[in-house]
Amino acid sequence: MAGLELLSDQGYRVDGRRAGELRKIQARMGVFAQADGSAYIEQGNTKALAVVYGPHEIRGSRARALPDRALVNCQYSSATFSTGERKRRPHGDRKSCEMGLHLRQTFEAAILTQLHPRSQIDIYVQVLQADGGTYAACVNAATLAVLDAGIPMRDFVCACSAGFVDNTALADLSHVEEAAGGPQLALALLPASGQIALLEMDARLHEDHLEQVLEAAARAARDVHTVLDRVVRQHVREASILLGD
Amino acid sequence: MLQKREKVLLLRTFQGRTLRIVREHYLRPSVPCHSPLCPQPAACRNDGKLLSSDVTHYMIPDWKVVQDYLEILEFPELKGIIFMQTACQTVQHQRGRRQYNKLRNLLKDARHDCILFANEFQQYCYLPRERGESMEKWQTRSIYNAAVWYYHHCQDRMPIVMVTEDEEAIQQYGSETEGVFVISFKNYLDNFWPDLKAAHELCDSILQSRRERENESQESHGKEYAEHLPLEVLEAGIKSGRYIQGILNVNKHRAQIEAFVRLQGASCKDSGLVSDILIHGMKARNRSIHGDVVVVELLPKNEWKGRTAALCENDSDDKASGDPPSEPMPTGRVVGILQKNWRDYVVTFPSKEEVQSQGKNAQKILVTPWDYRIPKIRISTQQAEALQDFRVVVRIDSWESTSVYPNGHFVRVLGRIGDLEGEIATILVENSISVVPFSEAQMCEMPVNTPGNPWKVSPEEERERKDLRETHLVFSIDPKGCEDVDDTLSVRTLANGSLELGVHIADVTHFVPPSSYIDTEARTRATTYYLADRRYDMLPSILSADLCSLLGGVDRSNKTLADSLDNANDPNDPIVNRLLRSMATQAMSNALYFSTGSCAEEEFHHYGLALDKYTHFTSPIRRYSDIVVHRLLMAAISKDKKMEIKDNLLSNKDLEELCRHINNRNRAAQHSQKQSTELFQCMYFKDKDPENEERCISDGVIYSIRTNGVLVFIPRFGIKGAAYLRNKDGLVISCGSDSRSEWKPGSLQRFQNKITSTTTGGESVTFHLFDHVTVRISVQASRCHSDTIRLEIISNKPYMIPDTELFQQSSLLLKSDLVKEVTRSVEEAQLAQEVKVNIIQEDYQKYCQTKGRSLYTLLEEIRDLALLDVSNSYVM
Repeated sequence: MAGLELLSDQGYRVDGRRAGELRKIQARMGVFAQADGSAYIEQGNTKALAVVYGPHEIRGSRARALPDRALVNCQYSSATFSTGERKRRPHGDRKSCEMGLHLRQTFEAAILTQLHPRSQIDIYVQVLQADGGTYAACVNAATLAVLDAGIPMRDFVCACSAGFVDNTALADLSHVEEAAGGPQLALALLPASGQIALLEMDARLHEDHLEQVLEAAARAARDVHTVLDRVVRQHVREASILLGD
Repeated sequence: MLQKREKVLLLRTFQGRTLRIVREHYLRPSVPCHSPLCPQPAACRNDGKLLSSDVTHYMIPDWKVVQDYLEILEFPELKGIIFMQTACQTVQHQRGRRQYNKLRNLLKDARHDCILFANEFQQYCYLPRERGESMEKWQTRSIYNAAVWYYHHCQDRMPIVMVTEDEEAIQQYGSETEGVFVISFKNYLDNFWPDLKAAHELCDSILQSRRERENESQESHGKEYAEHLPLEVLEAGIKSGRYIQGILNVNKHRAQIEAFVRLQGASCKDSGLVSDILIHGMKARNRSIHGDVVVVELLPKNEWKGRTAALCENDSDDKASGDPPSEPMPTGRVVGILQKNWRDYVVTFPSKEEVQSQGKNAQKILVTPWDYRIPKIRISTQQAEALQDFRVVVRIDSWESTSVYPNGHFVRVLGRIGDLEGEIATILVENSISVVPFSEAQMCEMPVNTPGNPWKVSPEEERERKDLRETHLVFSIDPKGCEDVDDTLSVRTLANGSLELGVHIADVTHFVPPSSYIDTEARTRATTYYLADRRYDMLPSILSADLCSLLGGVDRSNKTLADSLDNANDPNDPIVNRLLRSMATQAMSNALYFSTGSCAEEEFHHYGLALDKYTHFTSPIRRYSDIVVHRLLMAAISKDKKMEIKDNLLSNKDLEELCRHINNRNRAAQHSQKQSTELFQCMYFKDKDPENEERCISDGVIYSIRTNGVLVFIPRFGIKGAAYLRNKDGLVISCGSDSRSEWKPGSLQRFQNKITSTTTGGESVTFHLFDHVTVRISVQASRCHSDTIRLEIISNKPYMIPDTELFQQSSLLLKSDLVKEVTRSVEEAQLAQEVKVNIIQEDYQKYCQTKGRSLYTLLEEIRDLALLDVSNSYVM
């Protein structure tokens, strides 16, 4: 069998999308009553659940407390059934630790941490099904959860991945496209100001093409923002109706 | 807008477990339909290729038809073909990359009236596969459903014919929808294209070869060859250094026995081998064909063999030459083929007597390819008798390990054996040169220049360009009457006293916008092909011979740059000098184009010209590479001037691809030129009695020594060939006191720069390198291959032409005379047969070629003159 054609001559990707099109995004806020904030998101077949506690007092060693701002603690885990082959360990492996670190960096840049000195904000994210773009799904889920918890932020943090195939930048890679092994870029953006909260790439890509891929990822992140914004407004409307009764 | 669906796939993992995978599948309300009948072209976003509007129906081939009959669908006569995405994907999955790329190129090619319809991404065309439904049934159902949708989409205005090989589908869908017909492929050809004989023949031959293959796989023979190893084993073997990867090169003169593998890429450095690897015999070659990328295993050292240095004739494959082979070289055997390089082959059917000797299996016929390096091919056909006297194109289908020869099928007829047009067509096919007349769409892009409506430089352009018409004296160095003058010169003294030399080149890129139809065509052709008596242009004649030609007294736009001159010296001994020079350049590998982005700057150099950096751009009319350089130059200029750069430059990857293509085409152009020259030489000497005709005896220079003969160059005709000192009966040459040669028993002794023949009687004669000898030229006719020139030394003294004055001139004049005379005699033969003339006339129109005493003959003379010029000025 010949290798999979990621982008056909007619400009279609394997799953029928065009180069700049996102997968279908569905999200809900406030899925758990016992947490301060929670959200669930589906980006195509990638499904993630985020829970936020805080801001609260520092748990455990007091020495970790920061005098001028809140400590953001992120934990990432991925369900054993989330991937095609069953996983052995749901969390604590290298990949999970790295992902937790990335999430922490992202949200330290977005949350107004100086408003809550000497306190802690916990963000727990779990991936239920991994079909490409797990980082992006986690960030988007966590954004909604932080918003749900009412923690003040500079802006939404919207993340999206982008790849590069046949001189074309592809937005929002699926698992098939990621597995093909091309360059892959993950971008977390604060859409209102256009500031970048996190940018990560783990393959070789020629400098000439970087701008094009970055542009595609930023455009996709803005599209994600439009969707998330609608979800938040919808949620607020529903909540106010409930309160109004 | 998009609708999300999910597809469930069951894949088998390496451990053998089944894995359930869910993939998303997005559908959209409209995908481009590429039909001129589309009611909402804006919604469909039909950009690019459209189906033509003058067809009577659209044809939709089923997946099986696309797989099996793609070659027939490639006929330009078949119009209005819609390839469904479902069908294309099965080709990709089941037939591999080669076949799929063929399909992709077909879809991209503006000359073919076919499009792809992405039915699986269309909301109403997509059908999910039902539980328990077989893949094949689902594909056929999807294609039919899409056909029905397409019919309604075009508002029922265009009948659609779906062509399938599935009998059940014909039964089931045949009369389901009015306006959508479902018929079999054979039926389709019979009803819609009864006159397209070539397609019918091809169809029969494909059917027959498939039937044969099915029969064969049932019978279980003893194996003739070892099985090829699976791909993973090969790749692992190459990595570990156990196997070596390379390109198979068959020795033209010993095609049955010797082949060499030229090492490729990393294997070169790792294995520490310096030379090529010898593959001895057909068994070791294991079904690989000249040009294939093969994987080789080295044999143990005690089985290594040496290559033969003796001259030998192509047809005699007996190993009884008796010469001790040279020292052993690395020898190996092929264990697998990574990439097959099969193309179209020109073959000849065996004559009647040979068919009878092949006997009982009259259905299967062994045909002999024109190229010596290709093994005989087994064809199943009933037309063998009718095709006996023709050159025929065939394709190889498969080569099973149980079969001595590969299986193939018949594609089309080229022409009669020995007929000039047929033989030229053979040369073109063998070099994969395809020259069809320029299509209407391509000609439409050309500017108009008629006497009533002459082309002028537009005022905007005039402002943009620097006008040298008044300030410079621009002149051409091409002779009077030359049509395609693409560069001119100008000289003037500057204010500071130095000379300015201007070189002005026609601005072809102005007329050939990137990725226009004409650009695509020019890129495919890559160069103008010059054969001995004709040329096939890269661009239409309106550009090559009119607008871009810098003719005297006519305004033309062009590019200008300044350059410098070199001096030249005088000759000593013209013929030997010229010979040396041509040998020196032959020893060098040919210069190649490459993209400067693809390798480090230290690796840039041109060996032949001894320059660090070299490119040429003086002939954009006949070289596509020059067009590319022009575009780069324009981009560089517009960048300097801070103008916006049109986004049309190629990326490094595309450019590398293009360079490979151009190099490949240039090689084909050189080969075809050489082969056509040889063809003309043979036709010139054919039917002449070598004993009596004056022209058959000539002076020659020995330029190489072999164990049983010498290689001779004949300056008068520009012929190079082998002359034997030992004949087939084992007799050697001897020259008596009158220096006339005779065959006598004796032996040969070879030294570094001479060869001595000693008879048993004690007489001996020695031939030195660069000795002049008298040779007799005769033609060895061959049925299956091209005729060859034979040389026979009849005296060891130079041949004296009475008029020595003529001696120098004759070499040049006769060479072009040769072409003229052959062309004339062919024309005379044509005149004798009125009917034949008509056919040839049609051919002339078909190939758009110039007749008889063409411009080409003129150019050829100029080239010869130029050669003389340089060789005279060559410093010893």
